[in-house]
Amino acid sequence: MFIFLGRTIKFAFQGFTRNIWLSVVTVVILVLTLFSVTIAAGINIIAEKAIESVEQKVDVSVYFEPDISEQEVLNVRYRLEELSQVESVGYISKEEALQRFIDRHQDDPGIIESIEEVGNPLGATLVVKAKSIDDYPTVLSMLESDSYADLIQGKSYDDNQQVINRLSDISSKVQRIGLIVSAVFIIIAILIIFNTIRINIYTHREEIGIMKLVGASNWFVRAPFLVESMLYAVLAVVIAIAVLYPLLGVIAPQVDSFFAGYNFDLVSYIHGYLIEIIAWQLGFAIVLSFISSSFAIGRYLRV
Amino acid sequence: MIRFKNVSKVYGHDTNALKNVNLHIKPGEFVSIVGQSGTGKTTLIKLIIAEERPSSGHVIIGDWDITNIKPHEIPILRRQIGVIFQDFKLLPRKTVFENAAFGLEVAGVHSKRIHEIVPQVLKIVGLEKKMNRFPRQLSGGEQQRTVIARALVHRPKILVADEPTGNLDSINSQDIISLLKKINEFGTTVLLVTHNRDIVNALRKRVVTIDHGSIVSDQATGRYIL
Ligand SMILES: Nc1ncnc2c1ncn2[C@@H]1O[C@H](COP(=O)(O)OP(=O)(O)O)[C@@H](O)[C@H]1O
Ligand SMILES: [Mg+2]
Repeated sequence: MFIFLGRTIKFAFQGFTRNIWLSVVTVVILVLTLFSVTIAAGINIIAEKAIESVEQKVDVSVYFEPDISEQEVLNVRYRLEELSQVESVGYISKEEALQRFIDRHQDDPGIIESIEEVGNPLGATLVVKAKSIDDYPTVLSMLESDSYADLIQGKSYDDNQQVINRLSDISSKVQRIGLIVSAVFIIIAILIIFNTIRINIYTHREEIGIMKLVGASNWFVRAPFLVESMLYAVLAVVIAIAVLYPLLGVIAPQVDSFFAGYNFDLVSYIHGYLIEIIAWQLGFAIVLSFISSSFAIGRYLRV
Repeated sequence: MIRFKNVSKVYGHDTNALKNVNLHIKPGEFVSIVGQSGTGKTTLIKLIIAEERPSSGHVIIGDWDITNIKPHEIPILRRQIGVIFQDFKLLPRKTVFENAAFGLEVAGVHSKRIHEIVPQVLKIVGLEKKMNRFPRQLSGGEQQRTVIARALVHRPKILVADEPTGNLDSINSQDIISLLKKINEFGTTVLLVTHNRDIVNALRKRVVTIDHGSIVSDQATGRYIL
């Protein structure tokens, strides 16, 4: 078994080196394919993460009347938390609200003075975060119901909707372009691998004939060509990672600084998922090579 | 050892290469198949190594009916039959040793075993001193002996040679034929296709004559009659 494996790999390497330029071209095309697919997928992930982190910034602040008791506010909070659409509800007491107000207007002695005169004019605040951006209308409409009308002074809904819309608009356009470019490269890669294996079968036809004549099993005749195409795939992934990784090291911090202030960290994302990214690329390249070389072998290597 | 029962082979629609051939070759025999070109000799060989299937009738090797042999069984058959063709079919980038070892290599034999068997076989064919040469550095006779070595590494029970001397001068041809005789004396059944009159007459072995796809004569110590 190991002997077979060893000899298959040996024959595969011979096939690789015998048509070395063809092998190089095949690997280069595979690398370009991996680039385009990875970049398309990468932009997709960046856009998704960007939208996600912008969405995380969305919340509804509910301002209560100053004379509403803490218990009543907490009751509302409790009921809001019961809602399936609600992710979390933050509570800012009257005192905290006042403290924040004072902190914000420290440089304005007039305001501080008047506050000292009238006492605390602020009510408590609840900060509601929904599970998804689409849940806010439900939450808002609940807060508008009559039972709350007397309690609530006002609401502010900072929806960032425009930013989100623009982001998803750009990302869907980029995705479409990425998809088309990737598809073109995938098709080219399939054709190139198919053709390379076909030519390799042709250059080895004498050898294949002799192999069959001296009793090589059918899969032993075929396997080197499959292994050869796997070799292309592995080599292409190694090259693609060797080029992409440093490149991302330059780009990622810039993307991160563009999204500064949001919960967005591409650098640590890449580091966290590096193994997974490599595994995906490897899987993708191997499946691609396997399919196209199988076609070539099935068609040109009748046993 | 080899048995043809009412075997016919039709290529395409109308090329009737073999017509109702009955033939029985016993273990250890040395049989020459003679006949003009295009009469079906190579077809007979191809049926034995399952490169072609009979259109009707049965081909039996040992006690194995290979008439409807399955593709995955063909390698097993081929390891029991050594094959030599007129055009040498050596791999030009491999040495004599590597060419001879090829059959063992593709059969998954340990390289330790390969290094035991191949020198022995190369000694039998008289190439033990030229193991590391490439085919282009050999004479025609030496190239054909390398092919014979390759056919022998599996220690086959049957050796089929389709015009092995076709490309050789008469001295080299004599060498090859005496080598085949030597192999036959070791107990291997030898089937020799030729149309060299002198060789057949000098052999004084069984001769089967084929004409237009039919066996027209089968003599125990025959002569070339066509
Ligand atoms: N693969 C093939 N397809 C069609 N016809 C073939 C094929 N092989 C051989 N023939 C025909 O079968 C006949 C016998 O051929 P062959 O067995 O090669 O004869 P020989 O070896 O005696 O010269 C010839 O007429 C030849 O043209
Ligand atoms: Mg012939």
